Amino acid sequence: MLKKSPFRMLFNRAMNPMERLLSIVIVLYIAFVSIRNPLFFGPQALFDIMSTGAGLMILALGALIVLISGGIDVSFAAIAVVASYTAARLSMVLEIDNLFFILAVAIAVGAALGSINAVLVHVYRLPTLIVTLATASVFHGLMAITLGMKTFTQTDVPQSMIDFGRWYIWTIENEDGSRITLSGFVVITLGVMALTWFLLYRTRIGRSVFAVGSNEESASRIGINIFATRLFIYSYVGMLSALMGVMYWSRLYYINPDILYGFIELSIIAAVVIGGAKLTGGEGTILGALLGLIVYQLFTNTLVYLGLSPSWSQLFFGSVLIGMLMVIYYRQRQANKKALVFSTV
Amino acid sequence: MSKVWKFVTKDPEFASLIVTTLLVTGVLYVLLGDRVFSPLGVSSMAIQLAEFGFLALGMGLAMLTGGIDLSVAAAAGLAGLMGALVMSGSVIPVTETNQTFIMVLGVVATLGTGVATGAINGFLIAKVSVPPILATLGTMILFTGLGMAITGGNTISIVVPEFSALFAGTMISVFPLMFLVLIAMFIGVAFFLSRTMAGRRVYLFGENEIALRFSGVRSERTIMMTYLLIGLLIGFAALLIIARANSMRIGYGQGYLLQAILVVVLAGFNPFGGKGRVSSIFVGLILLQLLGTSITAFGLTPYHRNLMYGLILLIVMGLNFFVNRPSRRKKPPAIGGIAPSTEAIILSDQRTTS
Amino acid sequence: MATHTPLVSAKNLSISFGGVLALKGVDVEIAAGEIRCLAGENGSGKSTFVKMLAGVYQPDGGELIVGGQKIQNFNPMQASDAGIQVIFQDLSLFNHLSVGENIAINKVTHGKSRMVSRKKIHDIAGPQLDKVGITLDLDAPVSSLSMANKQLVAICRALAMDAKMLFMDEPTTALTGREVKRLLEIVQGLKDQGLSIVFISHKLDEVFSIADTITVFRDGRKVGDFAADELTEASLSKHMTGREVTYERYHRQQTTTEPLLEVKNLTRTGNYENISLDVRAGDIVGLTGLLGAGRTEFALTLFGLNKPDSGDILVAGEAVKIGAPWEAMEQGIALVPENRLEQGLFANQTVSSNVAVAVTDRVTNPFGVLDAQKEQDFATQVVNDMGVNNKNTSAKISILSGGNQQKVVIGKWMLWEPQVLVLDSPTVGIDIGSKSEIYERIHRLAEQGIGVVFISDEVEEIAANCNRVYVLHEGRIIKEFRERDMQGETLAHDLSEIISNPDLGKPMAGRVPSSEAGE
Repeated sequence: MLKKSPFRMLFNRAMNPMERLLSIVIVLYIAFVSIRNPLFFGPQALFDIMSTGAGLMILALGALIVLISGGIDVSFAAIAVVASYTAARLSMVLEIDNLFFILAVAIAVGAALGSINAVLVHVYRLPTLIVTLATASVFHGLMAITLGMKTFTQTDVPQSMIDFGRWYIWTIENEDGSRITLSGFVVITLGVMALTWFLLYRTRIGRSVFAVGSNEESASRIGINIFATRLFIYSYVGMLSALMGVMYWSRLYYINPDILYGFIELSIIAAVVIGGAKLTGGEGTILGALLGLIVYQLFTNTLVYLGLSPSWSQLFFGSVLIGMLMVIYYRQRQANKKALVFSTV
Repeated sequence: MSKVWKFVTKDPEFASLIVTTLLVTGVLYVLLGDRVFSPLGVSSMAIQLAEFGFLALGMGLAMLTGGIDLSVAAAAGLAGLMGALVMSGSVIPVTETNQTFIMVLGVVATLGTGVATGAINGFLIAKVSVPPILATLGTMILFTGLGMAITGGNTISIVVPEFSALFAGTMISVFPLMFLVLIAMFIGVAFFLSRTMAGRRVYLFGENEIALRFSGVRSERTIMMTYLLIGLLIGFAALLIIARANSMRIGYGQGYLLQAILVVVLAGFNPFGGKGRVSSIFVGLILLQLLGTSITAFGLTPYHRNLMYGLILLIVMGLNFFVNRPSRRKKPPAIGGIAPSTEAIILSDQRTTS
Repeated sequence: MATHTPLVSAKNLSISFGGVLALKGVDVEIAAGEIRCLAGENGSGKSTFVKMLAGVYQPDGGELIVGGQKIQNFNPMQASDAGIQVIFQDLSLFNHLSVGENIAINKVTHGKSRMVSRKKIHDIAGPQLDKVGITLDLDAPVSSLSMANKQLVAICRALAMDAKMLFMDEPTTALTGREVKRLLEIVQGLKDQGLSIVFISHKLDEVFSIADTITVFRDGRKVGDFAADELTEASLSKHMTGREVTYERYHRQQTTTEPLLEVKNLTRTGNYENISLDVRAGDIVGLTGLLGAGRTEFALTLFGLNKPDSGDILVAGEAVKIGAPWEAMEQGIALVPENRLEQGLFANQTVSSNVAVAVTDRVTNPFGVLDAQKEQDFATQVVNDMGVNNKNTSAKISILSGGNQQKVVIGKWMLWEPQVLVLDSPTVGIDIGSKSEIYERIHRLAEQGIGVVFISDEVEEIAANCNRVYVLHEGRIIKEFRERDMQGETLAHDLSEIISNPDLGKPMAGRVPSSEAGE
């Protein structure tokens, strides 16, 4: 009689070792910080992490899909900026202050840019890292030249975006009148997670993503349309990135096209890799990506609870990242040695 | 004349790169003349090229082994920081008499830190078998983080004036000292790679790491040594960075990563490893520097420049693709790429009967 | 037995690649419900022929008739619809997907629905397992299966596509004896259900036990179709190679008795157990047995790439620890590895570069600088000694034929002057001519006093080249043929007997836990 753990009943699979390790790390960290600073275990910190993490998780889902297919996309942050900036500017110029309009334009631009990535990656057969590094530069540069790099403050940002950013699903009033809020973005993120799960595990094209990442030659031999699969992957990533971009500005009610791009991509990819996605393709779970992102969030945003200045966050995260990499890959190295597998890929 | 033709056919990529560079030089000279090609202009370009050139050479070495070093800029930043710290007087107070000593100490700190970063990368890649792209992604964040933690984002100023004068100021005719050091480095590395067995092992590693092991070579040593060398080059770059600014702030030089990859791919290096000529990098550097300077001279913004770099990278990759079609190798990609599929069906015949 | 209307009929088929004729005037008919074997040496054209039937290549001449219809521009999709399924040697499986998904993926990809569900996968995959008569966990990842079971998954996938004709490329290369038996039983069962199965194989004994008809290819032409009972191993071999193949038997001249290399009770859990053997100067010690016997794993241990758990290795009487290839080389041991392309050479480097990597000290000056002249001289020496047909040492080694490439690999190690040379399946994928040349040189090497360990699963090869043989089965030595045992005429036959019937060998205490599932 197999004893089914609650996890297994919910997810229909066992937790993989990486997820287990991460969960332990997260629980230990939270316990450690909560003991040192009880404030940490309150709704303020939790809501904060969830609200800011919502957008990042959407980006992480995009990065995850590309990794599963065996590639690395570093252009998603650039696409997020370009798509949302274009949409916001268009809204301002045409004076259509409608959230759905902005989202629609952004997502359309995101899909288009993603498709360009798909075409180049498919045709060039060169490392996706380098191709997307180039396209990120081109997308952002074109935007800078055509639309300019003007920043917009609260007075100019479309009201619909500001309202969107102020959408809260939970508000707690403090005695002193201040409020702790949980952004409605969390709902959107949960929805995107569910959608992504559905696409990856219940549709043919989603399974093709795994197939292509696992063994591209076999996939093409079977007759899977590799190009269509790539088109799906990269345009989906583009759309997710665009959505995140709009969410991001909305929450800040401030639009600056100079940030995000060049700063966040590699950290997101690092988080997803910590979560168990492999460079070689075919592997990676949504839960893993979530856990990896939580680790990223915890180690970069919560240092203030430990009394450390934010300047330490990258060092912390970098150390954790290197530590996890060492664990993952040393284990793999030993296993390979034992199984007489010499190829390191 | 036939000698020239032989050269062109033997390595068409290199030849076309040289031709392109000469053309661009000619065109720009006509268009911009003295604004860019004055003695001051040339010195300025040369020193910028030198600063970046060491990093590019390092990136090229990493690519030869089939990897990529995402941490070059961050490592240079950290190395420069260490040197700047020593020379800022915060560690040992600077007095009238110990200026030279402090300067030497600073140089040692910079170069030493550079080599140390290489050692860390080398350890992760060789001894722990972390894929280079992930290892250097991690160290990139780590090095930047270390720098941020130490400085808190502040700028560290150097109070030893000789340092800047020596490394940024010394000129030999119109060329800065460090530029000549760069050339010497290129010559040295080129000689090492093509004329010594240790250097050839770098190529062999990039081409077929497994066969290298089966040939009895200590392949881990080869990789370790490569990254140590990259670390040294990073140290040199760092010297120049802090010499020019006479200070150091973390975050400086972030854009160099894209440029470094661009110039190495431009030079015809195979991102999967095993192929690349170091002298091509030098020509690529000149080309890129000319383009970059002209962009500024034409009054365009850094965004224009990045756009141009991205476009050039895409175009060059496209050209390389068409030129290299027959000789593309079936090799599992090391940097998140895709293995060509049709070849596999044909190559699988070689393993068995037909 | 076979019915009368052929399922597939190829008439006068020819194809060239880059001006070189790969197949010429081939007429082949395959009917439903028969088991055919395509036999032939490397380069004979049999794989090319299969690829044409699978729609991967288009013929330049002749015609292809499938299911009674003449076909133009056959593509893989049409071939699949016509019921032709090919299982390539790598099985084309997806390690990260489940068993069920691997079986169903082909059908799902070409089906109408865009959705996938666990139930759907089970509905498609389940019946195929029944057809084959095995049980596997449909949700388990394919990577967790043994090679034999993976192969069954590949077969199930083909069945899911309503295969009428199943091509299997070298299906038994990676299977143990027991697994081969099971596979052949399954194939027989499929034949009874009306399928045609076409093997591509050069393993003569398997060919004989199962095929109804054998189609022999040679040099791009069909030599003929033969009923299996018409042929003997010798006559099949003669058709495949076009000549009477007899190799010079090797006899050891030296009389020394001290072993150069001795192995005592060497054990590596999961690979091999209690291996004891010795190699003297002038010995060519054969190591044979089916896959899974532990031969390559043992060879890798000798070269420092597979640390043993217990036991001793003695070189010139002294116990040594070999932890890495360079340590093996320090002891004078060299290895010509099994996988030439992946492990043995650097395809994009020149011949001279490939040679130089083994003899570093001799081609560099004390500072490590390469001496181009010396490098070229050594390369030329290897090329001449080994009889490589292309004398240009600056040529990329990839342009040489497999046989010539292997000559360079072996030659470079010979140049290095080992004390013990281990050769792991050195003539796989090599033409007949190069084979005998390589044999000759190995004999010469042994005559000079080197000790050779020759690993192979080709019985003829072992019989001809070795003066002593150890037969391995599932990690243990089950029989030793000493020099006096090697004299008989029936040696090759005796060897085959033992290999396919391991129980005839000396029984060993205890059992190696078999890692193969499915029993």
